[in-house]
Amino acid sequence: MDLEALKQELATLHTKALQELEDVQDTKRLGEWRVTYLGKKSELTTLSKQMGQLDAQTRPLFGQLLNERRQALESAFTSKREAIESAEQNARLAAETIDVTLPGRHTDVGAVHPISRVIRDIEDIFLGMGFMIADGPEVETDRYNFEMLNLPKDHPARDMQDTFYITDELLMRTHTSPMQVRTMEQMHPHAPIKVIVPGRVYRRDEDDATHSHAFTQIEGLVVDQGIRMSDLKGVLEAFAKALFGEHQRVRLRPSYFPFTEPSAEVDLVCVHCQGRGCRVCKDTGWIEILGAGMVHPRVLDMAGYDSSIYSGFAFGMGPERIAMLKYGITDIRQLYQNDLRLLRQFAKV
Amino acid sequence: MKVSYQWLSEYVDLRDMSPEQLAEALTRGGLAVDGIASRNQGVEGVVVGLVRDMEQHPDADRLHVCQVDVGQDELLQIVCGAPNVAPGQKVPVALPGAKLPGDKQIKRAKLRGVTSNGMLCSAVEIGLDTRLLPQNQTVGLYILPEDTEIGADIVQVLHLDDYVLDIDLTPNRSDCLSIRGLAYEIAALTGKQTTFPTDIDVTLPNEPSPIRVRIESDRCTRYDALVLTDLQAVPSPLWMQMRLLSMGVRPIDVIVDVTNYVMLEWGQPLHAFDAGKIADSTIVVRQAKAEETLVTLDGTERRLDDDMLVIADPEKAIGLAGVMGGENSEIHSSTTRVVIESARFDAPSTRRTGQKLGLRSEAQQRFEKGIDPAVVRTALLRATQLLVQLAGGQISGGVATATTDAESALAQRVPFSPNRCRELLGCDISDDMMHELFRRLGFTVVEDSENWMVNVPTRRPDIALAADLVEEVARLYGYDNIPSTLPLGPVTIGNRDARQRILEQVRNMLVTRGLFEVRTYAFTSPEAYAPLQLAEGNRLRNMIPLAYPMSDERRVLRTHLLPSLAEVARYNLAHRVDGGAVFEFGRTYEADALPITQQPREREVVAMMWFGTLPDSLHERARPYDFYDAKGAVEQILDGFGIVVQYERAQEPWLHPGRSAAIVCDGQRIGFVGEIHPTTAAGYDLSTTLYAELDVAQLVKRHTTSLLVESLPRFPGARRDLALVVNKDVLVGKMLECIDELRSKREILRFASVFDVYEGKGIGEQQKSIALALSFGADERTLTDAEIDEAVQEVLQVLEAQFDAHLRG
Repeated sequence: MDLEALKQELATLHTKALQELEDVQDTKRLGEWRVTYLGKKSELTTLSKQMGQLDAQTRPLFGQLLNERRQALESAFTSKREAIESAEQNARLAAETIDVTLPGRHTDVGAVHPISRVIRDIEDIFLGMGFMIADGPEVETDRYNFEMLNLPKDHPARDMQDTFYITDELLMRTHTSPMQVRTMEQMHPHAPIKVIVPGRVYRRDEDDATHSHAFTQIEGLVVDQGIRMSDLKGVLEAFAKALFGEHQRVRLRPSYFPFTEPSAEVDLVCVHCQGRGCRVCKDTGWIEILGAGMVHPRVLDMAGYDSSIYSGFAFGMGPERIAMLKYGITDIRQLYQNDLRLLRQFAKV
Repeated sequence: MKVSYQWLSEYVDLRDMSPEQLAEALTRGGLAVDGIASRNQGVEGVVVGLVRDMEQHPDADRLHVCQVDVGQDELLQIVCGAPNVAPGQKVPVALPGAKLPGDKQIKRAKLRGVTSNGMLCSAVEIGLDTRLLPQNQTVGLYILPEDTEIGADIVQVLHLDDYVLDIDLTPNRSDCLSIRGLAYEIAALTGKQTTFPTDIDVTLPNEPSPIRVRIESDRCTRYDALVLTDLQAVPSPLWMQMRLLSMGVRPIDVIVDVTNYVMLEWGQPLHAFDAGKIADSTIVVRQAKAEETLVTLDGTERRLDDDMLVIADPEKAIGLAGVMGGENSEIHSSTTRVVIESARFDAPSTRRTGQKLGLRSEAQQRFEKGIDPAVVRTALLRATQLLVQLAGGQISGGVATATTDAESALAQRVPFSPNRCRELLGCDISDDMMHELFRRLGFTVVEDSENWMVNVPTRRPDIALAADLVEEVARLYGYDNIPSTLPLGPVTIGNRDARQRILEQVRNMLVTRGLFEVRTYAFTSPEAYAPLQLAEGNRLRNMIPLAYPMSDERRVLRTHLLPSLAEVARYNLAHRVDGGAVFEFGRTYEADALPITQQPREREVVAMMWFGTLPDSLHERARPYDFYDAKGAVEQILDGFGIVVQYERAQEPWLHPGRSAAIVCDGQRIGFVGEIHPTTAAGYDLSTTLYAELDVAQLVKRHTTSLLVESLPRFPGARRDLALVVNKDVLVGKMLECIDELRSKREILRFASVFDVYEGKGIGEQQKSIALALSFGADERTLTDAEIDEAVQEVLQVLEAQFDAHLRG
């Protein structure tokens, strides 16, 4: 055989193989093509066997040529295979298309009650300021609910809190303030005391949009040497900013509670209008959120903390009111109706 | 308290303060003004007119044609339909163009053919509060006194240009229940002077009083009485009536009105007795006798007790001291001799009496908060002065008076340290400033280097301690001027304790499982517990009753949370909610016996309820909740806190006997889980409903916090599944417990779980097939089939012996 003839044959074969490869469109045909052109019984193999007939001088040349052609075909095969596989996968993926707008699979999640949510938020703020959380009895004695808070029997200020009595001496607590006394008695003589007390309280009010015979309160108490009224203002300001945002300020107005002196009503910048004036704040720009004051010296003395050495402040707030302001609830009764259609709206982080 | 702006301005110069500015100053000073009302509801162009002449309307029976003198050159012809119209009356006349409340405009008009140049007005039409007017002034025309000036603007005549401030007084400021107190307060807040008189100039006859007074109880410290004769119980002058009206007091006659007027002005309640009704001209102040009765001015017979203080003559009680007078000594139109009482009664006693009898008079409200002893006499003289001026009274004798030893009208001396004040407020207020503030309050200061003594006048009974003075300083200095600081003390760590952490964790677990937290009321009724089918003597029946409940539905404290949650379920199902799962952290109030004598146990539980169906979704079909939903929640909580329990058949009458369990830990019951008894459920209008509760104190007591990891297995383990046939009534839990016990003997047996329970085809009718998975493993080697087989055989033997379990063929 002469080299040129073989070369020619090889070139023809190569061209034919590439042409056929061009037409291959699926994996099966590609396999067949591979057997035909690159397999043990392929023409290329046949050609390589003829190499022996060449003389020793031209044999390596042809061998090299043969290798190049084989490599070229194998490379074409690989490219083709990748192209086909890619096309086939694309087709498969296209067939697997689903409606991504359909809802996902859920584990149904419930929700924390809005009042608990507010209490938890407030607890977290005061925990951050180093307060402990305490808890106390709802059925209280007259002594702790009133007398130890500087509200002796027959004191007119008892009218401020219409009371559910059980017996002459036992009653449903009208505020969380008895825990001021219980905490001081328990902690005595330790100082400082920094505690908040969330809990349910009861008053003989007709239930309406803004009143409930049962509601919750969060009491706060700080007792130490050197506690000042300015500290009360500062702590409540920090609280207000944490709960309602950095723009918050507090305004104290003189008021009266038998167990604090001086006493104050505490207003925050209206959370609804940011102080511009609206229906929620009756155009004053302020909303009343807390009652507070310096712990009355008699209360300190009765609980065992000498009022000439110690001083303290106390405050009380209503999570219901805060929940109503925060979440736009207009009727306090909704907070105790437990309508799932309302509660579901709180299934948010 | 409602207060007249004009009346106040008589004693403090308010020309530079509008009612709004005054309200703001008072509110910022601690006297919260809830509202400002103009007395003028929209009256303009109404004048006083005299009905000169009157004729029947030619075409209308009920109308009259009046000729009215309004001070103009000619009489006005006005058609009037009021039944009480009569010639000679002075009445409000709305001239053409006048405006009346409710945006009414008066025009010249023809009424049935007769021209009417305006309208004669009733009390309602000029915006007066008729609730406080005598009956005869509320129907038909409002009749003005004869001496009213014709043509005068009704706004001036009736003081409609006044404003009424509604002050929400705190109970400590009894001093501000009067014009006097408010005048002093405004002076202190604004730095103005008050011109309120300190004395009344009345000349009393220099002869003894015709009556005697005697105090027989320590609950009255002073009793002054004065007799006036020749009085006539005629209406009081219009200005006085209007002032009373503006402050919410009903005008009656001049005698009563003067006592009320002076009370409003001076804060000292007064009472007028018919002197002729007092036996032996002797007034005795004493405690009532048990079972004594008295008919009070409101016509009600009151049964008294010996804790109450009465005014009496030697024969009978004639009044409830400081609360309400008696009918038997009431003033009548024929009364001419009157005893005016001005006294000081014990505050708590007055309060108790009012509470016991359900009476809250203006007088009582002042006495129970404490009155100023310094003005008992002055107020009496002021009333005397007015009665002489306005009712033609003649003073009969001097003041009859009695006092007890307890009487002390001295100013309080309160020690005060300006340094301590600055310390407590965190505010650098100078000594000079404090001096100035006390001066404005009318307090005098005796300075002794660092310690001051502040003399507080008796009109301020709320100031007794240094702290009270600190508040006065802060209040007048301005709370706004106090800076914001943070406490200086040592750093403290804020932490939730174990109980609080557990509650938070349980709450989060349940919420993640799809339960909604609810909050229900602690008050309920025994009727709401009827569906629980509690036997006589069941402790849950020991419901603590409220002494004075507001309704039958909320008259006792709850002993169980199930009825509360059942109500939530019922409410939601009735409001088109298909179903849901809810939980509550709530307390039950447990008494061993009733009535309670000490605080009851307050047991905190987490109660859960599943009602209706799980919501339908794209991926899962709706299904009713069942027992295992409830048990899964309970298990999740208990597993989470490492609490190992047994589930034993529950015996509660409100639970389905076959589908409920008591949750028991170390022999103690810590909760329940189960389906509510169908009868109980029906009682709450519910169908299949699940309930579970866990005792929070038990969770706190039994939870384990330690967490030590087990090393991971280094050698592969093995699993063998067994299908066993047992009788239907065999409890799988017991089988698993039994396998669990074997683990101590067979260390390679690691774990057993159930993965299928089957009843039906291929299984005997009274039987069920249980599929168990057994896990095997060893720490130091790979197990051989032989030893696993041996262990499985042992499990099979034990299960056969104890439960008659056989491998499914």
